[in-house]
Amino acid sequence: MLEIAIIVAGVIIGCGIALISGGLVGIGEGYAAGKAVEAMARQPEMEGSIRTTMLLGQAVSESGAIYSLAVTLLLIFTVVLPLVDRLLELL
Amino acid sequence: MEAEVLFYIYSFPVSKPLLFTWIIMAVVSLASFLLTRNMQKVPRGAQHFVELLVDGIEKLVLTNMGPEGKKFVPLILMIAVYVGFSNLIGIIPGAYSPTENLTTTFTLALIVFLVGHYTAIRKKGFLPWIKGFVEPYFILLPLNIAGELSQIVSHSFRLYGNIFAGGVLLSIVYMIAPYVIPAVLLGWFGIFSGIIQTAVFTLLSVVYISMKIN
Repeated sequence: MLEIAIIVAGVIIGCGIALISGGLVGIGEGYAAGKAVEAMARQPEMEGSIRTTMLLGQAVSESGAIYSLAVTLLLIFTVVLPLVDRLLELL
Repeated sequence: MEAEVLFYIYSFPVSKPLLFTWIIMAVVSLASFLLTRNMQKVPRGAQHFVELLVDGIEKLVLTNMGPEGKKFVPLILMIAVYVGFSNLIGIIPGAYSPTENLTTTFTLALIVFLVGHYTAIRKKGFLPWIKGFVEPYFILLPLNIAGELSQIVSHSFRLYGNIFAGGVLLSIVYMIAPYVIPAVLLGWFGIFSGIIQTAVFTLLSVVYISMKIN
């Protein structure tokens, strides 16, 4: 029973660490948005293409956070929840 | 992460995402029928909105792919309308976004992937298409293949992750504070995030196809 509890704790801590990438991606995307605003202020007539390029760059750089989110969700739904169920049965 | 089955039609399982996909299909078909029945040269009312949508998608596709992208306009329009309706149907209480299920988004990403490669083979020929995988060096072949396959994963998980995480967060907030606060968050996750994710998914579909055919 203690082993299962340790596994669950370890996996949950790992999920938390994986989600740090969300904050880092937030920094990067905010930087991209700020630069896009600068460019729009300088050249307001290019607004449409600047917005498209900004969204595209942000979407691509978001991939890291998306992968970590996917890993976290998979870990929680395939590893943690069954183990927690077994833990509750043992209790 | 299997979708729960609601009922069976002659042993054919109907799950929640499938049911709401049918509802969206019915709404969109009915709207298309009603809006195109009485079209006018000078648009009035709802025709304005639909023309704006079709024009916007057509401009997006043509600026990214050039004149040969004309045949992709219906596909991209289908993706935009379907994903947009799926994201926005989630703000109705009791309704379920089909995009909250990985199968739906994975299928859409797979369609985009296959259409891009099929058009690339049709346009360039089979051998030059194969040759594209061993550039610039032969040793990069596994990396190129992995990069192509990871495109499906990142494309589908982006939409699914955003919608699903929004849903999970909302259900947690409902448990803690059932009044007022969820309404604000519903506006954020349901409407704003839903529209942004629709735009991103559509834009990425266009860019992925245009990257493969050029």
